[in-house]
Amino acid sequence: MAEFSKQLERLEAIVRRLESEELDLDEALKLFEEGVERLRAAREQLAQAELKVKKVLEIESPS
Amino acid sequence: MGAPVDLFAAASAEGAWTVGEVTRRARAVIEAGLPPLWVRGEIAGFKAWRSGHWYFSLRDTSAQLRCVMFAKQNFRLPTPADGMQVFVFARPSLYEEKGEFQLTVMELLSTEQGGLWKLAFEKAKAALTKDGLLDPARKRRLPLFPNRIAVVTSPDGAALRDIQAVIARRWPVAELIVVPAQVQGAKAESSLCSALNRISRLLVDVVVVARGGGSVEDLWAFNSERVARAVAAMPMPVISAVGHETDVTLCDLVADLRAATPSAAAEAATPDRAEVLAQCGVLGQRLARALRIASRHVVERLDRTGDRLVRCMENRLEKSGALLTAHSARLDALSPLRVLGRGYAVARDTDGRVLKRVAQLPTGKEFRLRVTDGEVNGRVQ
Repeated sequence: MAEFSKQLERLEAIVRRLESEELDLDEALKLFEEGVERLRAAREQLAQAELKVKKVLEIESPS
Repeated sequence: MGAPVDLFAAASAEGAWTVGEVTRRARAVIEAGLPPLWVRGEIAGFKAWRSGHWYFSLRDTSAQLRCVMFAKQNFRLPTPADGMQVFVFARPSLYEEKGEFQLTVMELLSTEQGGLWKLAFEKAKAALTKDGLLDPARKRRLPLFPNRIAVVTSPDGAALRDIQAVIARRWPVAELIVVPAQVQGAKAESSLCSALNRISRLLVDVVVVARGGGSVEDLWAFNSERVARAVAAMPMPVISAVGHETDVTLCDLVADLRAATPSAAAEAATPDRAEVLAQCGVLGQRLARALRIASRHVVERLDRTGDRLVRCMENRLEKSGALLTAHSARLDALSPLRVLGRGYAVARDTDGRVLKRVAQLPTGKEFRLRVTDGEVNGRVQ
């Protein structure tokens, strides 16, 4: 799964682009669809209930 | 004059003491006569051995004493330096193997204000400052939405439990990577350094270095210059939660952010899931609104075009209608029906061709004659 921050950054970029530019309908629709998909993925990540914990064993450094 | 001494007999194997006997006896005399005591002096010839034992002399203007401080006694202490004025609490004894009078040091305190700790702290701090490692401009911003968070702490301490609970509640989106380290004891310094070193090679967005409660002395590893430099060298931001409210450690000073407790460090490292969810909701609304606006332009254009099309057609129809009326008037004037009405007739053959000449009408030719109110069949006789 894509990193959450990247997902959100892209989503924000899409919204800004849609808001600021006069796009033709085709392009606007394409962006909108991508935005909806990103939003869905972000929400799905947020809905994840359990924290993944990984333990890395310590390796003694030679002193 | 006394009796003559039989030098030979006195020097015989039976009469002389062995080296071991003398040192043993001397050691017993010294240990019995000089119980453990506090001694004040200046450190000279300091040397720390690989074993961790310290060897040095204590001296003043007139004399010096050999001293040893074993690793199990000194591990909590910062390393002293030559020229430092100290108090030691020590057991005078004799090191038999070398026949040396020496002090076995059990405590060592600086006579300077704040003690040895303060001195070592200031010295290391000065070195870090000189290298620019305490410059506030070095402090990095923490990531807003960390994907992987590493924690360096004791694997069974309360600090880890607290951190894990906070991250699980606020930001389970992330992966928590626990790198256990000894946070106190003789091996804490190298253990912390190797843990940090390991993390520096992993893909991690932010590191939390934490430690639960404990005495001020137990903080020593986090005041180690080596650990501080390891923290400063991390490629990603580091949050330090090791000091107390009153004792800032070097690790705290070098870190990108200092947190009062491990829980506070975990909060600083993560966004709140509920808030981010709300943020996503706002983005969703903006997305929908933006599409509405974008499509409105298109619809308006379409509407305008449609209107023009309709207007245009209506115009043309209107014009066509007028034309039609004019044409039909003219047509009417030229209509053959009018001519027929005046008494003329039109002859046509069975294929509808008009027969205008005699040559077209040989005897026996069938034709149709159109008069004003109808048609009749005929034959040429």
